[in-house]
Formats: sequence, structure tokens, C-alpha cells
Amino acid sequence: MKSPVLSLNPLSRRSFVEQIAKASLGVTLLPFALKAGETDKLNGDVHKIPGFGKAKNVIWLQMIGGMSHIDTFDPKKGETKGASTAVNSKGGFELSGYLPKLAAQGDKITLIRSMTSKTGVHAAGQYVIRTAYEQRGTISHPVLGAWAQKILGPSHKTLPSSVCINRGPDRGNGFFSAAYSPLPLHDPEAGLQYARGDASSELLQKRLALLNKMDASFRGKFQDMNLKSYTEFYDDTLKLLTSSDLSAFKLDEEPSVQRDKYGQNKFGQGCMLARRLVEHGVRFVEVAYGGWDMHNDIDNAMDDKGSVLDTAVSALIQDLGAKGLLSSTLIVVCSEFGRTPKINGRSGRDHYPKVFSTMLAGGGVKGGYVHGSSDKEGKEVADKQTSIPDFHSTIGHAMGMDVDQVVMSSSGRPFTVGDKGKIVTDVFA
Amino acid sequence: MKIRNFILCMTAWFCPLAAFAQEPAPLDKSQNVLRIWRDTQGRTITATFRGVEDGNAFLQTKDGYVYRIPLERLLPGDQEIARQLKPEGLGIPADPNVAQAAARIDEIVVYGLKAKGVTPNALASDEQFCRRVYLDLVGRIPTKEETTTFLNDTSSSKRAKVIDKLINSEGFNARMFSYFADMLRMADDAQKAKFFTYEEWFKSQIWQNRPYDKIVFDLMTASGKLINNGASGYLLRDKGMRLDNLSVTLSTFLGANVACAQCHDHPFADWTQKQFFEMAAFFGTTETYDTKSSKKMLAGLKGELTQEELQRVKKLVQINALEVHEMGYNDVKLPDDYKYKDGKPGDSVPLKLIKWEPATDVQKLPMHDPVAMQKLQASRDQLYKTVEASLNKKGGGENPRAVFAKWMTSPSNPRFAMTISNRLWKLVFGIAVKEPVTDLDNAADANNPMLLGHLANEMVRLKFDLRAFMRLLCNTQAYQREAITKQVVAGEPYYFPGPILRRMTAEQAWDSCVTLAIGEKVDNYKLRRAGEYSALMGLKGKITASEIRSKLEGMKGAMAKFGGKNKPGKNANMKKMRDTAGDEVDHTRPDVLQGQVLARASELPQPEKDQHFLRMFGQSDRQISDAGSDEGSIPQVLMLMNGQTQSVLRNPKSLVLATANNQAGAEKQIESLFLSFFSRHPKPEEMKDAKDALASGMTLADLTWVLFNSREFMFVQ
Repeated sequence: MKSPVLSLNPLSRRSFVEQIAKASLGVTLLPFALKAGETDKLNGDVHKIPGFGKAKNVIWLQMIGGMSHIDTFDPKKGETKGASTAVNSKGGFELSGYLPKLAAQGDKITLIRSMTSKTGVHAAGQYVIRTAYEQRGTISHPVLGAWAQKILGPSHKTLPSSVCINRGPDRGNGFFSAAYSPLPLHDPEAGLQYARGDASSELLQKRLALLNKMDASFRGKFQDMNLKSYTEFYDDTLKLLTSSDLSAFKLDEEPSVQRDKYGQNKFGQGCMLARRLVEHGVRFVEVAYGGWDMHNDIDNAMDDKGSVLDTAVSALIQDLGAKGLLSSTLIVVCSEFGRTPKINGRSGRDHYPKVFSTMLAGGGVKGGYVHGSSDKEGKEVADKQTSIPDFHSTIGHAMGMDVDQVVMSSSGRPFTVGDKGKIVTDVFA
Repeated sequence: MKIRNFILCMTAWFCPLAAFAQEPAPLDKSQNVLRIWRDTQGRTITATFRGVEDGNAFLQTKDGYVYRIPLERLLPGDQEIARQLKPEGLGIPADPNVAQAAARIDEIVVYGLKAKGVTPNALASDEQFCRRVYLDLVGRIPTKEETTTFLNDTSSSKRAKVIDKLINSEGFNARMFSYFADMLRMADDAQKAKFFTYEEWFKSQIWQNRPYDKIVFDLMTASGKLINNGASGYLLRDKGMRLDNLSVTLSTFLGANVACAQCHDHPFADWTQKQFFEMAAFFGTTETYDTKSSKKMLAGLKGELTQEELQRVKKLVQINALEVHEMGYNDVKLPDDYKYKDGKPGDSVPLKLIKWEPATDVQKLPMHDPVAMQKLQASRDQLYKTVEASLNKKGGGENPRAVFAKWMTSPSNPRFAMTISNRLWKLVFGIAVKEPVTDLDNAADANNPMLLGHLANEMVRLKFDLRAFMRLLCNTQAYQREAITKQVVAGEPYYFPGPILRRMTAEQAWDSCVTLAIGEKVDNYKLRRAGEYSALMGLKGKITASEIRSKLEGMKGAMAKFGGKNKPGKNANMKKMRDTAGDEVDHTRPDVLQGQVLARASELPQPEKDQHFLRMFGQSDRQISDAGSDEGSIPQVLMLMNGQTQSVLRNPKSLVLATANNQAGAEKQIESLFLSFFSRHPKPEEMKDAKDALASGMTLADLTWVLFNSREFMFVQ
């Protein structure tokens, strides 16, 4: 699927995007510090940078609580090793012993072992890893799904462009209007919340007919944009409720064998739902998985969480591959920070933002590749330090966004996808 | 009611702080017909007619003042005219001084409109006014009974009277709290503690009608533990992040757009990073976290408590460490990445207050009065001199935080009164005189700068009395006009031909729903948590191991009652509770229907959990200031169509449906629903459509669903 925006020449592409921007709440897009003549050059360059636009979809798996890097993607020997023993993966790198199934998919995986951040507090750390920006009391920043909807346009005509599973949207629209907020699905089994009412479809039609009749004079009286957009939201909602696309939200249409492969738990089923949604045209799906704050008895906790993660993500890679969607869908596994190499007095590990790991698969990234490294004990970045803005810029670039493009918030402040991070081109095949 | 003697000479309108010319703009002739009235002694008065009540005629002179004159003192011919004439404008005011002040605002609004060739809208109907004024002043729609009482009142003084009634009602407190809770990011959960004391302190300030400048002064200067002094909650909300706190302070209270300058010179405005740090230095002697005193208290207990108990004690210590206190030295320094020539990283920073260019807010005005402007500028200059003097006092200057607070909240501060009056104007008109309310750096660029300046003067004249100010705004014709029907484009100038069409805030919408469900008694229930929480968590004096153990027991209880972060507490877990709506009046606990706690938004968790109606309808998550949203979304529409709230309203136990069901005949039932939802009678064609629907098998509950989902319900005109 080629975005109509990208196929336009650079200048008209910009004016198109500006039009979208103007239509929604005075947010404007500006080329970043460019003189008029340089516009072509820059846009040309972006397309040439490896990986651009390869990830049509993103499934963003958000581990909440601070996932230990040593007990997952960056296993160590010696004092900081922890309880599990590393296993060799098909990608030629080692993974922690808690992730045997992922090890078998190693040839499809890129790891970044040199992530670093300054934030060691959960809420603030979550904010940074979701938005690339530090949390402030004066503005909120959009998640990548909202950025993409703004810059690339909606990904589907009836379905939302971004969805978050097992969590609330937490202002994911940032400074964009509420239409850019990810649609929350708090329970994958239940699907779309409030999709079903207690009225029969016949009664619903009657009610709606009466509603439109009685409300007509009020709607006709005012030319207010927000009033009009409410009426459009009702139209969109009804369109969604009656469209065949609604089946995207229905897990019970999947064969039970397939569902078992992902693991019969909220995260596993969330990953499966993410695959269904992406398949139907939702561009960005975040699946949250909590419980990683392992201050006590980390071995026991990892046995549990690690196996859920291992099962779900390996099933997701396989399933996307089988459906031919892996090359266009980027899977991201990340967390707000890592955990201390040193095991504490309660056999747990504490918060550690200094170095940690993330995982990528599909969507144009290499398989069997490790970018950067931590030192022997997992205490410091040893090579190719990667910041959270770098990470976001890389993914934003893969999604087909020009990460130098400046977007002005309605309060007149300039922002970019990934907060001016560097694209890590090495991860792209 | 105050009476001014019947005098024939008009006193010139005069406001001591006004920086504007004394030449009044002509009154709007289309709605105010001046005529000459004569009394029995041959004196005359040129005035518009505002109505007759209790044998008195009410006449408004050109200066806006409204005179009460016994009818028998008018010439018989004029008495006759007074009895027959239709009252002009807004009817009889409750207070002639308020009427005069309101008339002055109207004059300035009309002046601004005329300059742009815009005609003001007609006055809103009683139905429109009633619904709007309830939503604006008490934050919810009127009940059917409140509406019909107002509509059936035939007196010319009813508008002014209902404003006074609402301003002094419990609902006003709830409305204002919801507004300020959004502005100040009030959240139950922050810094691993509960901010109940802060919330309840603020509520009590509104309830007592404490002047706004005094409230803000207290927020800036508070000291002590959060659990003992709620006012300290403002600084503790940003514990250890005083720069962020200052950013919010400057934009929220002074409309100074300096957030960018926290990290670098402002790219578009004049603020520099240095200036930001000079302001921050006023908070540089203040510490917002103190574990020392609690730790000292617990010293010596280590051996007596188990590992597990010590872990839990840690939480207690964290809560008690939330304390604002003075350190005795200033530790604000230029940041490590400081890159400008006027300083080096790590340099200490002098205390210096920002200034706006001399009276830029009034300089460019078309009608500015040089003398008044000089006076205004002189009072501002004096303010800065006073600050300097108090900082340089012999034997050590005053506490810098207090100096800052005095400067910020002073009537002579160029932006403080202006910011809050601009905010409250937006609260009732839907759009501010200068948008956004957090940026008044270029006040003279406002759509009607004279209005902005005048409102600031009025706020000072009323001594920051928020009730009096809201009362004044609602008594203007500008407020009581019909809402604009044209599209108002963000960023384009608006001259206030009337208020704009607004979607209800999340709090207004929820509070209106609970009003539909249980009626006006909803205003009576008050949530109280601070006292109990503080008693359970507070550590005082020397403490023994056994005392600590009983504290920890209490803490367990508190966790169960109030909930941990994001974990529903007992209050949120009402599903198990039986329905109480319709029970005998009991204001100590909220009503519950179908698992929904039917209390005002101000008396529910702050903010509500993210799947609650309030949040889905745009209640702020309280992470950033003024973040309530009035936008729609698909999940929101799904909730309106199929969620719990519509289901509660369709429940026969809900007041709205019960009241309709009790009416005899379809017409009365339909009318009852229209009055409840829209505060108006149905039009003939609506009556016909509704009757047809009922005849074709739809129920009153279905009709409730229809009215609830209509734009007319969710929007305020």
C-alpha cells in the first residue's frame, strides 16, 4: 500500500500535510530550518536512507515496570548473571534462558543492547519510552501512532489508525486533537468496548432516526466545527459498528489452536489481537504488559513473565511470517529502563536506566543482528550508545516519516518525531 | 437593595485604576431606548426602562446605574407608561452597582464590536439563559423543577436573582473546584502519596470565598508537611522539580509564556534562559523533600522491626517526607549545558523578577488615557522597587519565596489580575479575550485590549472576590446574548457578539447526568478523606516500635479504603453496593445506581480512572495544566450510545425517567423529558415526532436515550 501523501512531489506533499494540519486545531508542520531551495534535497535524502517506509505497521510491545536486560536480551556470565543460563539463538547471539522460543526465532531478530536513558522512575520513564520526550507540566507529546496519523494520514477508512491494548491511551495523542488518540482496548477478549448495546438493531435504527430528526434544527443552527465533528464521530462509529471490519476486534474468530500458541493470557491474546488489527489495516498497535518491577525474587518472577513474553512474541513473529506480513510489520519490544546488574538483598534487581536492551523484528530490520553492547557486567554502554530519541527516530523513519520535519503545537512550540534523535541505520537490512 | 437618591445630575463614571479615556462609547441603541422621565416635582431623568416591581420603577441612566423610583413620584402619564412598557435589556438588577459595572463592560464590548462593524446578538431567551447560567455557575444543567420555577417567574428581576442564588449555592463550589483542579493538576495520587489535604484545603478556600490573591499567595508561601498543611500541595506536586513547577506557575498565574526558557532562550518571545533561572532563584532556598526528620524519628527502631516491616515503614517515611521547608541557603545554579555568554554552567544566579515592557498592555489602545496610564505605570514601578528593598534589607533580606509571592499576587502586578480575569471570562464565554490564557505577554494584541485591561481593573476593584467577579460577568448583556451561530475559527479574532457554542466540559456533562439521575440534592454530598488519611499516615514526635506497628496496621486499612495508585479503592468498587438512589436523603454517602457512584465530579477520585465517563469525555489526567478536552472520539461515542451512563438514565429509578413516568399522558411525559434535558418546552413538530415514536412502540426510556445522545444536550448555547 503506497501512501498517497508520499507519492506526491515533495512540495505538494507538504502543502497536503499542511492542509490536514490546518483542518485540525491549528497544528502546523514546517520544514526544519530549511531554505526553500533545499527542500527537494532533503526529502530526496530521506527516501535514500535505508529502511525508510519499510514498516507499514508497528506492533509496539510495552513492558511496564522496567524489564531486566540481563535476564532477557543481554545475558551475562559471572557475578551479575542471575539465575538463568544463557542459550544460543538461531541468530548467532545469546538470549537469556527464560526465552528459549525466541531463541529459535533469532534469525529474524535485531537486538539493541546499548540503550540508555536518564529516567529511573516508572511514570516518567514510561512517558519517555512512549513519546521520546521528557515529561513536562506544560505540554504532552504524541506517541508514534499519533505522529504517523498526523504525518502520513489515517491508515484505514473505518478502523482507527492506532490502538492500545491492555492499557488506557494516556494522552497518546499528545498535543494533537483527540481524534489522534489511540483507541483503547482494555480487554482483548472483550474487544471493542461498548460495541454492543442492549437495543436490537431495529430499535437502534428507530432511535437514531428519531435522534437525527429531533436534533436536526440544533445541528443546522450552528456552524461550529466541534459540533460538526461530533456528528461525524457518530457517523464513523455507526459505520464501524456495521462494517465487516469490526471483525478485526473479534478474537473468537481465530481458531483455538492458533490462540493457544500465543498463550491464554491477556498479553498473549493482546498480541494476537494486534496481529488481527494490523491485518485489517490498523497501522500502530501498542500492547502493554505489566509486572516487570522485580525488586524481589527476580528468578521466580522471570519464570512467569519471561515465559509469557517468550511464547507470545515468538508466536507473533511466526504468525506474521506465515501471513506474509512480517516484512511490512515491525515488532518492537521495549521497557522504560533495565534493572541493576547487582542482585539486591531480596534476590531482586532495582531500577537501572543507564543501560538496557530493546528488541526489533520484521518491518525491514535485519535478522540475527545485535546493535551495540553493554560492558561485561551489564553496567555501562560499551559500544554504539543509543538514546530513546534515537530509538524513536529509527522507528519513525522505518514507518516512513521524515524525522526532521518540524511540527508546531497549537501553543507554537516546535517538535519532531523522535525529538531530534539519530536514525540507527545499521539495524536495517 | 441599595437606593440612590433621585438626583438629576448624572455622576460621571469613574474607575480609579482605569487607564482608559472617560469618554464612554455610546450605548447600544437597538436594545436600550432612552426616554425622558418626569417626576411630580418637575425634575427629569433620561433613562431606559428596566421594569416595575413592588410599586417601584427601575430606570437605568446612561452611566449604567439603575435607579429605583416609587411609581407615585412619577407624573401620572409616566406611571402609566411604566406599567405598560416592555422592560429593556436584562430586567431589574439585584444590585445597582453591579448593573452599572456590567453596563460599563457592555459598553466596552459594544465599542469593540462597532469598531469592526459586528452587530451584537439578540438577548438569549429565558430557556437559553437558564440552562447556560446553571452550567456556568453551578456546573450542571438545572433540574426540571428549577427550570420551570425560573420560566414561570413573571418578575423582571428573575435573571439577576437566579445569578445571586447560584453564586451562593453549593453547586458553585463544585463548579469552581473542577475548574481549578484542572488548572492546578490536582491529583489524588502523586509522589507516592495521597494529595487529599491539598484538595480539601482548596475546596475550603472556595467555600469561604477567600480572595484569589490570598489563596495563590498561600500556595506559593506554604510550608510544612503535606499531611498537615494542604496548601503545601502546590509546590509538592512537583517535588524535586522546582524548574518545572516555576514554568507552570508563571504560565498559569501570570500568563508568561516562559516554558521554553527553562531549557534555552525562547525562540519566539523575549524570555532568556538566564531570566528563567533568575526567577527560579526565588525558590532556591526552598526544599520540597525531607526524609531527615522522619528518619531521625525512626532511628533506633531498626533492630526491633522485621525486614518486611521496615520496607513498609519506608512508605510511611516517604509520605511524611513530603514537606516544604527553608534550607537557609540558595542552591539554584545555571545548568550544566548553559550555553549563553551571560553566564557559565554552575554559576549561582541573582534574584531578579521579569518585567514586561512599560504598560504594553495599554499603550497601543485606541482610547488610552495618558494620566491614568502614568499612574498605572507608577504603581508597577513602585512594586518592583518594593521588591528590591525587601531583598536588600539590612541584616538579611526577606524570604525570597515570600517576596516573589507578594510581587506575583500584588494588585499592581501587570499580569496577575489580568490572567485570572481573562480565565474566568473564558469560563463563561467559552473563549478568552486573549488566547491562550497562558500567554498574555503581548496583551495589547488581544481582540479587545481595552476589555482585557478593564476586566483586570475590575478584578482588583472587587479585591479578587471570585464570586463577585463571576456575578458581574453573568450580569452583562454580553453574557446574556444568544450564542454565536457562525463558526469561530481558532486563532481568528473574536469580538464577543455573544458567548460561543461550547461542548460541556467533562465535569459539566457528568454533573448534568447525575443531576438527571438524582436531582439537585447531588450538590450536597461532600467527599472527605484528608482528615482520616493524615491521622493514619502522620508521624509525630518520638515513636516506639509498637506504635509503628499499629501505624502499619492503620496503613493497611488506608490502602484498602483509599486504594493504591491506579488500584481501585473501596469507593471505586461500588459494583457490589446496592442501589441507593431514591432512598431517604443522606448526605454522608453518595447515591449509587447500577454500580455508578452518583456524586459531583469534584467529590469523586481526582482524576477519575480512565474508563470512567468523566475521563472518556475529556476530564484531564491532571498531568498537565488546563488539559480538559472537549473533543469527541469513537470510544466516547460508543460509551454515550452503549455505556453505563445512558443505562443509568434509562433506569426507571432515575429521577428524569421517574418524573416523566409520573406525568399523565404522552404529551406531559414528553414535555417533562424536554424540560429535564434541554431546559425548554418541545416545539410542536418535536412533540409530534416524539408522540409518533411512542405510538410506534418506543418507550420513554428510548426517548431518554435519544435526548441524551443529542448534540443539543452535550452543547451549551
